Amino acid sequence: MSSRRGVGLSAFQNRSSLSTSYASHGASIRSEHLTSLQTQLSVFRSLLHNFAIQHADTIKSNPTFRAEFARMCNAIGVDPLAGSNVRGKGGGAKGIGSLWAKVLGGDVNDFYFELAVRVVELCRASRGENGGLLGVDECKESVKRGKAIGGGMDVSDDDILRAVKSLKPLGSGFSIVNVGSKQMIRSIPKELNKDQSSVLEAIQILGYVTCSMLEDNLGWEHARAETVIKDLLADSLVWVDLQAPEKEYWSPALMNDFED
Amino acid sequence: MPPTTDFTFPTYHQSYPPFYTLQPNHQTLTSQLRKWSRLIQRYARHHSLFKLSLPATIDSPLFKNVSLKKRLSLQDATKVLDWMCTDEGGRRAEKIVEGGGGGGGGGGAGVYWIWWKRPEEWGEEIVGWVERTGQKGVVLTLYELTAGEGSRGEEFWGMDGEVLRRALAGLVRKGRAQVFGGEGEEGVKFF
Repeated sequence: MSSRRGVGLSAFQNRSSLSTSYASHGASIRSEHLTSLQTQLSVFRSLLHNFAIQHADTIKSNPTFRAEFARMCNAIGVDPLAGSNVRGKGGGAKGIGSLWAKVLGGDVNDFYFELAVRVVELCRASRGENGGLLGVDECKESVKRGKAIGGGMDVSDDDILRAVKSLKPLGSGFSIVNVGSKQMIRSIPKELNKDQSSVLEAIQILGYVTCSMLEDNLGWEHARAETVIKDLLADSLVWVDLQAPEKEYWSPALMNDFED
Repeated sequence: MPPTTDFTFPTYHQSYPPFYTLQPNHQTLTSQLRKWSRLIQRYARHHSLFKLSLPATIDSPLFKNVSLKKRLSLQDATKVLDWMCTDEGGRRAEKIVEGGGGGGGGGGAGVYWIWWKRPEEWGEEIVGWVERTGQKGVVLTLYELTAGEGSRGEEFWGMDGEVLRRALAGLVRKGRAQVFGGEGEEGVKFF
């Protein structure tokens, strides 16, 4: 290929041949790239396959390991939960979709679905005392000590979050909300307003609140504090202690003792 | 079973003050009553208590938490026990009308049967033991049943005489047992 700048008519021919050869070269580079990517992908797939087979037991039994594994899947854009239901997300991930179904689908998926069932059970059982707002922490502890069929399961926060997420397609209204620094599972589709959230947050930090504490710390008028508290009481989101000098309002989180 | 260890109260009984105030919200209250009911039954079972009399036990650790400085008031404790008597409460308690004997409801003294096992459940328990030990068709005295060496260690060992009589009466009605003899020296035969 000549780099000499042509003059006259031949220059046109030269230029067009130049651009075709550029194009063909580009295409060959691209296809090379593609094959190498495909090889990489297939190598990776088989490695992942091996890894999953080798560590299936650990994935099921060790919460830390499972969380790391889930994080890894997340990072490479594979959803272990979606894997077995959705047959291949898009052309490229086709093989991976069925891989999950074959290798992990039975195990990892069932694990999360089973966990989700327990979470739903716990939410339902405790709804009376916590108004449908169950802390992820408390939920985790209860699952660990669980008396449900099959005994306790060793799970991490991450597992619980994932399990709740897996309920989404059911349209069940289960979701994760942040109240203060705490993550909670909401099993009743109800929005907390800003005042209610700040009261729940204060309770988390202080253990309990009274109307005058709200007035002093948040600068609220008495009527405002009282209204918020009344709403929270009506939604079973707080419990009242009338035996204190001033009415104290407590979070029901401590009531979550499924031992009895 | 004789208590071998101290009764362990649940954490909310130990450290959650609002547990001692009956909650104004109905939904919350229901779940609270259920918790109290379960606690009372577990407590009674642990201590082999069959009756609970209210003014007398209101100061016991069951209703009063000294370290928390909280207590279930007499009025609220009555509410809990009355709730336990209802169908909603699973009829896990029964008010004893003055003059002893059964019969639910009515006024009178605040003495309650606590049915951590109901009489019919006690009946099953006894029948189970009789079958396990191959004593079907054998005449046993009531004393043997609840105080004899053979049944030592069973949960019905040392049980209240009145509860025993009611349990057996239930079995007699179903034709699964027969009671003979007069007051004080009754015998029973299981089929």
